[in-house]
Amino acid sequence: MTDMMKLKIEELEKRNDAALAGGGADKIAKHKQGGRLTARERVDVLLDPGSFVEMDRFVTHRCTNFGMEKTKFPGDGIITGYGRINGKLIYVSSQDFTVTGGSMSRTQANKICKVMDLAMKNGAPFISINDSGGARIQEGIESLGGYADIFTRNTMASGVIPQITAIMGPCAGGAVYSPSITDFVFMVENTSYMFVTGPDVIKTVTHEEVTKEELGGAVTHSQKSGVAHFTARDDKHCLLLIRELMNFLPTNNLDDATTLASKDSPDRLVENLNNIIPDNPKKPYDMNAVISEVVDEGYFLEVHKHFAQNVVVGFARFNGRPVGIVGNQPQVLAGCLNIEASRKAARFIRFCDAFNIPIVSFVDVPGFLPGKDQEWNGIITHGAKLLYAYAEATVPKITVITRKAYGGAYIVMGSKLLRSDVNLAFPSAEIAVMGAEGAVNIIQREAIAKAKDPAAERARLTAEYEKMFSNPYVSAELGYTDEVIDPALTRKRIIDSLEMLRNKRDTNPPKKHGNIPL
Amino acid sequence: MIQPPFKKILIANRGEIAIRITRACRELGIASVAVFSDADRDSLHVFLADEAYHIGPSPSKESYLNYKKILEVAQQAGVDAIHPGYGFLSENAIFVRACKEAGITFIGPTPENMESMGDKLSAKALMKKANVPLVPGSDGGVESVEEATAIAKKIGLPVIIKASAGGGGKGMRVVRTESELESAFRACRSEGQNYFADPTVYIEKFINDPKHIEIQVFGDTHGNVVHLFERECSVQRRHQKIIEESPSPSVPDDVRKKLGDAAVRAAKSISYVGAGTIEFIFDNTTKEFYFMEMNTRLQVEHPITELVTGYDLVKEQIWVAKGKPLSFKQEDIQQKGHAIEARICAEDPITYKPHPGVIRACRHPQGPFLRIDSYAYPGYEVPIYYDPMIAKVITWGDTREEAIDRMQRALTEFVLTGIKTNIVLHKSILKHPKFLDGTYTTQFIEKNFEVLEPELFKEVEDPVFLIAAAITAYQDRKSKDVRRLNVASNWRRIGRKIQLRT
Repeated sequence: MTDMMKLKIEELEKRNDAALAGGGADKIAKHKQGGRLTARERVDVLLDPGSFVEMDRFVTHRCTNFGMEKTKFPGDGIITGYGRINGKLIYVSSQDFTVTGGSMSRTQANKICKVMDLAMKNGAPFISINDSGGARIQEGIESLGGYADIFTRNTMASGVIPQITAIMGPCAGGAVYSPSITDFVFMVENTSYMFVTGPDVIKTVTHEEVTKEELGGAVTHSQKSGVAHFTARDDKHCLLLIRELMNFLPTNNLDDATTLASKDSPDRLVENLNNIIPDNPKKPYDMNAVISEVVDEGYFLEVHKHFAQNVVVGFARFNGRPVGIVGNQPQVLAGCLNIEASRKAARFIRFCDAFNIPIVSFVDVPGFLPGKDQEWNGIITHGAKLLYAYAEATVPKITVITRKAYGGAYIVMGSKLLRSDVNLAFPSAEIAVMGAEGAVNIIQREAIAKAKDPAAERARLTAEYEKMFSNPYVSAELGYTDEVIDPALTRKRIIDSLEMLRNKRDTNPPKKHGNIPL
Repeated sequence: MIQPPFKKILIANRGEIAIRITRACRELGIASVAVFSDADRDSLHVFLADEAYHIGPSPSKESYLNYKKILEVAQQAGVDAIHPGYGFLSENAIFVRACKEAGITFIGPTPENMESMGDKLSAKALMKKANVPLVPGSDGGVESVEEATAIAKKIGLPVIIKASAGGGGKGMRVVRTESELESAFRACRSEGQNYFADPTVYIEKFINDPKHIEIQVFGDTHGNVVHLFERECSVQRRHQKIIEESPSPSVPDDVRKKLGDAAVRAAKSISYVGAGTIEFIFDNTTKEFYFMEMNTRLQVEHPITELVTGYDLVKEQIWVAKGKPLSFKQEDIQQKGHAIEARICAEDPITYKPHPGVIRACRHPQGPFLRIDSYAYPGYEVPIYYDPMIAKVITWGDTREEAIDRMQRALTEFVLTGIKTNIVLHKSILKHPKFLDGTYTTQFIEKNFEVLEPELFKEVEDPVFLIAAAITAYQDRKSKDVRRLNVASNWRRIGRKIQLRT
């Protein structure tokens, strides 16, 4: 090597060192208190070892307001680039809180847009790790423009490539809208929070006292608002959880998610289902137990675990092939559908449909949750979202009715006439317009009133109704149910159906987009 | 051509012995029927037999020991005889009687033979009657020092005093000179009292350098009994044999004759039918031997006897079961040359813990004077449910040295990867001076191979191995990447189509 070249390499090394130093040792040490990882460490944990390639390492901001030209950091507070998760290409950005609080500058936004554009050209997922105090105020409206560029790209990419956001620090004001457009939001307990307006503004305007954690912490968003789909104990847990999720997703909306070799026999009988589902239709049971029993190796990655627990959604595999699972949860609110449950399931189904992931539904639903609160808050509109999502989806749709399927809720939950491909029912299924007692009270009101002993008459008529209608056979006779199966066969039959539907082709009429009741 | 003795034989066993018996059947023109459990569906014995039947779940209790199911299969397949191999049902008198009731010939000894040798105490009483030497000692408890001294004088020093209830080395004393006797006797009594609440002690002859010597015997239904000389099986880990040889390097010719005579006496005294083995404990210092027990079946190590005598023991078993007299007389049987067997087990060579798993590469040794009885093949998953022995390597040589050198050579050729095996242990046993000079005893492994880890793997630490492993890993990775590139991307395909349209 010539001396000249040596000097040039030294210069490069010096610049690299400056970029790798982030906001400096002091700030990094402070940041790492409480077990948080640095922006670079996060990328390393997230991606396959050694696979990360950084872009725009030497980018700096161009702001000259308020003496900003004196404080420049190479990379400008964000690390962007590409790498792999289990061998599959991923684009990533990771905000560095140690550099000007990770605040969003025009150049930071440019860096994000550059990798998002590449992600869209190459059909690969984009993962954003957010840890930012918000807009870089010194840059003024230029910073806002940056946000808008990102939001536009998020919207354009929606349904084309999977987009994941990990909130690993503060995320406030306009910044929250990028995560909420993406498909899945991960939050870390105790160290992350999201809100549009912070506690100080709330205090000024409404005089309410609220902490950041209570207002927009991981617990709040995973339980109350449903903004967060997953919560993690710490940074590392969060990043590993994202890797786990990515295993179930395709890289874009034209490709299929990877089928893995399964050690679980496709012919395995699930005799234990008969022990899980009680004979008494009023007794609750855990739908999660049913799901774990039938899927490959009992492994079910639940999405929105803490939100609207009366419906269960998540990913699992059947004979190695990823599917989305939706199930009513009889353990919570007797499995009734309500506003939150409808929103949760509808968004999940639309994600699966957008990315070619088949949907398997387990139905045990007595109806929609009654109540003033539900009606006033628009259960009609929100319930319709779920109906819309099921009806619109063109991926393979398989529905298993384990017990109750009554009335409107039966129709909504992937019933045959909503273009569901295979509808299976257990012999214990009750597919009817409503529960026996309710139906008798309406249809036989006069007969009951006239009887000498109205209570006895009601009981007699109820029993009669149950015998006639509370079974899967009326629906099977109409062809609304394709097959009534021994529950032990559930796994085998779902896999048979998925195999049969492998090359399914179905389309919706040409349109700009549907008008889902938002 | 000779008429085959049976039309069809069911082999109620698995692994290498099932294959060994299948081969004998095929040579005799008899159809063979294999049975298999869930775990053995892909086992080699299933492929090699003429027919195969599934008999139940993987645990032996529900398959290879389920004699009712096996008999059911035997009747369904229409067999006229059953060979039990070794282990499993081979020494089960109830099964033998059930076979008889079902009208199927059991290839092995009579149920009475099994019962008389099944219980150790009654077997010893029978042997005493037949004038077969037993370990000399007191008949039951010894009460006083005087009595102890008298017994010690009678059987000769050294002796061992043991507390009747003792165990774990407590309440045991070796007495080499008469002066030690009194204190040892009292110590054992008091230890027995203190540790086990029972002061009873008994006295036995102490065996200085114990060796495991066994004699192969063979009887027929016409009252003939012969022996086919000895096998030495002193190389044992956890009381299980791993290397056997014949003849034993420690048995002088005159003692060899005495051993053979005693074994024939023992077998004759119970009118033994078929192949059996009388096990003796052999004192390498005094060259005395004492009856331990009789195995009323074919042994794992029978091939070394076959190689030095030239007789096929399994075929002979089948003929004897048919009622034919033995095809050889005592005076015809000669020991020629030397044979060694090494049992290759799927186990950790240091801890001896079984190591089941999928065999990646498997290349059996070949070449002159070598016999391989194995059921290993590449891709086969060694199940966790059964004995870890997967192969036997048997070599023959004109001299002991030649047989050992051949075994070393054969083991060097043996490639078996994906699972841990004891091949390295065998190789270092075969190099050990105590093995080479033949003075090894039954404590050989525990005394000499406890902390030999670095010694065992000296060859493996060679950097060449590390480099080879790295190259394999690299090539694996590369082939995976190629596969990934070949997977068609819809994204790219449809993207191209759109470009062409506009």
